[in-house]
Amino acid sequence: MPEPKPLLQIEDLAVSFPGKGERGRPAVRTQAVDRVSMSLFPGQTLAVVGESGSGKSVSALSVLRLVPTPPGHYDRGRILWRDEKHGTVDLLTRNEKQMRSVRGNQIAMIFQEPMTSLNPVYTVGSQIMEAITLHRAVTRAEALAITERALRDVGIADPAQRLKEYPHQLSGGMRQRVMIAMALACEPELLLADEPTTALDVTIQAQILELLRKLQQEKGMAIMLITHDLGVVAENADVVAVMYAGRICEYGSVLDIFDRPMHPYTRGLLASMPVLGKATHRLPTVMDAATIPGDFPEGFIVAPHVENPHPVDGYGGAAARLYEVTPGRWVLCTPAPGHDATPTLPVLDYKRDTMAATS
Amino acid sequence: MTAYILRRTLLMLPTLLGMTAVVFFIMAAAPGSVAELLISSDGEMRAGDRQARIDYIKERYGLDDPAPVQYLRWLHKVSPVGVFTDSTDDRVAGYGLRVGTDPQGVATRLGLKTPDLGHSFIKNRPVTDILAETLPITLLLNLLSVPLVYVIAIFSGVYAARHRGGWFDVASSSSMLALWSVPTIWAGVLLQGFLANESYISMFPTSGLHGLRAGEMRFLPMWGDGGFAPGWLLDTAWHLVLPVVCLSYGSFAFMSKLTRSAVLENMHADFVRTARAKGLPDRVVLWQHTLRNSLLPLITMGAFIIPGMLGGSVIVEYIFGIPGMGKLMIEAIEFKDQEVVMAVTLMGGVLTLIAYLVADLCYAIADPRVSYE
Amino acid sequence: MSDAANPKPSPPITADGPAAAGHASVTPRRSMTRQVIGETLTHWGARLGLVWVVALVFMAVFAPLIANSQPIAVRVDGRWSSPMLVHLGALDVTLLVTFFAAAVLVMLRRIAARWRWLALLGVVVVTGVIAGLTVSVPQPVVHAQWRVAQAEGRAERVVFAPIPYSPNDRVRDRVRDQSIDAADLKDVGPWWAGHPHNHWLGQDPLRQDVASRMIHAARIALGVGFIATGIAMTLGILIGAPMGYFAGAVDLIGMRLVEVFEFIPGLFLLLIFAAFFPGDYPEIIPGLKIQRIYLIMGIIGLTGWAGYARFVRAEFLKIRKQDYVQAAKACGLPLRSVLFKHMLPNGLAPVLVSASFGVASAILAEATLSFLGLGLNEDPSWGKLLDQAVKSGTFIWWIAIFPGAAIFLTVFAYNLIGEALRDAIDPHTQR
Repeated sequence: MPEPKPLLQIEDLAVSFPGKGERGRPAVRTQAVDRVSMSLFPGQTLAVVGESGSGKSVSALSVLRLVPTPPGHYDRGRILWRDEKHGTVDLLTRNEKQMRSVRGNQIAMIFQEPMTSLNPVYTVGSQIMEAITLHRAVTRAEALAITERALRDVGIADPAQRLKEYPHQLSGGMRQRVMIAMALACEPELLLADEPTTALDVTIQAQILELLRKLQQEKGMAIMLITHDLGVVAENADVVAVMYAGRICEYGSVLDIFDRPMHPYTRGLLASMPVLGKATHRLPTVMDAATIPGDFPEGFIVAPHVENPHPVDGYGGAAARLYEVTPGRWVLCTPAPGHDATPTLPVLDYKRDTMAATS
Repeated sequence: MTAYILRRTLLMLPTLLGMTAVVFFIMAAAPGSVAELLISSDGEMRAGDRQARIDYIKERYGLDDPAPVQYLRWLHKVSPVGVFTDSTDDRVAGYGLRVGTDPQGVATRLGLKTPDLGHSFIKNRPVTDILAETLPITLLLNLLSVPLVYVIAIFSGVYAARHRGGWFDVASSSSMLALWSVPTIWAGVLLQGFLANESYISMFPTSGLHGLRAGEMRFLPMWGDGGFAPGWLLDTAWHLVLPVVCLSYGSFAFMSKLTRSAVLENMHADFVRTARAKGLPDRVVLWQHTLRNSLLPLITMGAFIIPGMLGGSVIVEYIFGIPGMGKLMIEAIEFKDQEVVMAVTLMGGVLTLIAYLVADLCYAIADPRVSYE
Repeated sequence: MSDAANPKPSPPITADGPAAAGHASVTPRRSMTRQVIGETLTHWGARLGLVWVVALVFMAVFAPLIANSQPIAVRVDGRWSSPMLVHLGALDVTLLVTFFAAAVLVMLRRIAARWRWLALLGVVVVTGVIAGLTVSVPQPVVHAQWRVAQAEGRAERVVFAPIPYSPNDRVRDRVRDQSIDAADLKDVGPWWAGHPHNHWLGQDPLRQDVASRMIHAARIALGVGFIATGIAMTLGILIGAPMGYFAGAVDLIGMRLVEVFEFIPGLFLLLIFAAFFPGDYPEIIPGLKIQRIYLIMGIIGLTGWAGYARFVRAEFLKIRKQDYVQAAKACGLPLRSVLFKHMLPNGLAPVLVSASFGVASAILAEATLSFLGLGLNEDPSWGKLLDQAVKSGTFIWWIAIFPGAAIFLTVFAYNLIGEALRDAIDPHTQR
């Protein structure tokens, strides 16, 4: 089997927003995303984990260039997309028209708030068909048929009736299914799922995730799953990128990361997760458990976790980069004095055993 | 849908009654009785006229009855449903069931009748006839202004929101407030004084709705023997320019600001992001997704613009000498012609409530979340 | 909202983190009112508006010193006297005393704001009553006497006010250039526009000085603006608060009442009120006659309360379910206390914003009434001046432009302040 090429590669991406200047001090631009690199292979699920404001949504929105500019600004970086027709292209250099043919067609996105992400004044059907007629040369009748099939694919009963309904007539879970149907109607190669289950009930969450897994297997698309829910990560992800304060602090396969977290923040995050069947008086906070492991690979120095990183140097310090500290594991750190290492782009073609994941 | 309209209309009846009652009781509370007011307004009246007036008032309101009774009598006269006799006047005949006979032996009926708005003393004509002449003129002014306001406001508001922070936005956001603050009386006086005055630019006619020779004109403009003849249509349009501008600029400024903020609010809505993520071009995102949702507050405001415009017509018609309902109102108020005041209030109320109903229906159509139930 | 559209970075903290964090708590906490005022004044529009309003207040208070045909000081037979002081009316005295009392009270920072307001109110009432009883203007007023005296040389020195004409001073004689034919006196415009007369903004058709009338009219405009809005706001709160608090049937009936007043074109009501209560001292209820100016204030207030009631109702509907209201009720507080002491302060912000716009529309309403000839009869008013610009058949541009501009600027000023206030109170509004 030839070495598969990544579908999407984000290299050293930095996005900033204008910050509010303190009195008497000049305004520092807030780095919402800084030195973010990641890669995605066809059929792979990459989970981007982090708390609110850690830059994971901005990273995903940047792929589709949906960050409003201004106020946002792309400072650095490349977003390489493997396009069938054009070969590998940098999405950040595409013009608006070229981007439009990518959006919704090759890369689709679903959002956190199914309540507000659908236009309240148009029927569900017309909103899905809008995407289809835009990207495919089909007649109205064909588009209608595709819409119906898309709705049936996401498990909506009686799609012919449903597509005449307005978003407010549907429940939250239904709306998220509609969002997924809309995203998948044009059979994209990559789905950006920005906290797709956060706003939903727990039972519905499980259904939606199950649905996404099923659709991923059927259509073979890649998913970038943005979430702050470690349970969702453990169940769905192949590769995990942990983000804090706009930077990726650890990157590796899901088994590795859950098994042996190396970055203090990842350790704190995982330790703060309740474990079923294990009685604890009080869960440790992220800060409590954010320790530097004693067996941290030699030659690298990792900065301790701080809650409010320096506004200019950023999280982990000015010199911190992603280094592959052990094979298949990237951690935000600096090489120890006297050691020589070059930061590398995280590329990890790992896919968990799908049978095990879905059984 | 029909049931909805019907229910809304019924809900509006109390409001309409309230409006006429408020106006009636203000007039009733004024110093001097109704009859006194009418009689004292001109002293040189002939003895016969005087008696005729007293009789008229007595018949219509009951001279010595308390104000609420007088109001109910008036209400009965103008109501399209009630008791009436066949004989008194052709104007008040209608269809109904015979319920008895009056002392003169004339049949009394209960049912639908022609509403009787009374008789105006300043014009010495039935109020219904006067309204039939003046109402269309005011309606014409307003019906020209409202679409104008909406169309320009939507385009300028959308443009400002789209180029937020641009020169147009910065210039318009402060100048719209200024425009909104310009008093209609000032704008009217200045427009008339500078643009319709022979000592300055005599571009527009000073007053009225038609030129002097409008009666002889052809309808459409044409080239005749004596050069260009504007024709009736163009002549009237020319007379309407300044009044319509005067009537609409305030609402336009207000609506434009409203459009801008509504569009800005929706531009960052989640569903707009979804639409962009679908790959829709900006044009479609703006006009179909953003604007459609931004229209809702504009529709709501429509119901409130109409009363303002009716008030504005009073000023505009006064300044530009247009023989519409507003000018009639001023004359009637000046000479305390109670019948006309009540009739105009009633018409104003009906128009406002119709506008409210239409706005309500438009909203229900534009926003699927509103149900007819 | 996702963090993409609104990134919320952690507050930047430098190496001296705790010290920097402590910095915020060192600065004294400002009260909500001060914060809102401070935020409002960051808008340049609000500042400009405030400057204009303050200028108007000065003009209104010091009108007799600025525009008066009675000289500030004269010397006759070697003795100085001040005809201006002699001719001050009760209102002039009250306004001047109140102004200086307010200035003194602003200086006294030690005393609580509430007591200062009360003291000011006391000053107004006491001076008003005393001045009303004691101050009387010598009758008849001969406006031209000092001009004639100066011309004839009877007075040695005459120090006139900057505008040496009273608002009701009908000047027919004042011609700089004696060669001008009397027939040319028809239109007397501003001297800087080529008219050989000593009037800054010209004369109106009755030969009254426009500038003087405009300055004195500022009193009417400001007075009507504030008092009418006060009446409307009070009525709106009194009617709207129970509607929002009780909801249900009270609300249903109340809303019909609000609709009634909202849907009658406001101008119709104003006109009917003004026309059916004519005269300088209209009889509002049998046996009670009031000055026309108070009637005008009253009717503008009476026709404008509906909007406030709607606002207060909406706010009260929102906060009636809040815990502190329930707690106040549970404590057995009387309804009055729950409504106005506990709920009102929390629901007042939007009402105050609309009050600022309300002042603008009240001023506009007075101007419109006067323009249509139903306002004040003798007193100067911007609206009436504007009416005179077109009434005589010819268009007199200087009385069309200046009084109109005064109305416009005042309305604009209040609207600017209102908008800045709204932005300050509700940060969600898009600017």
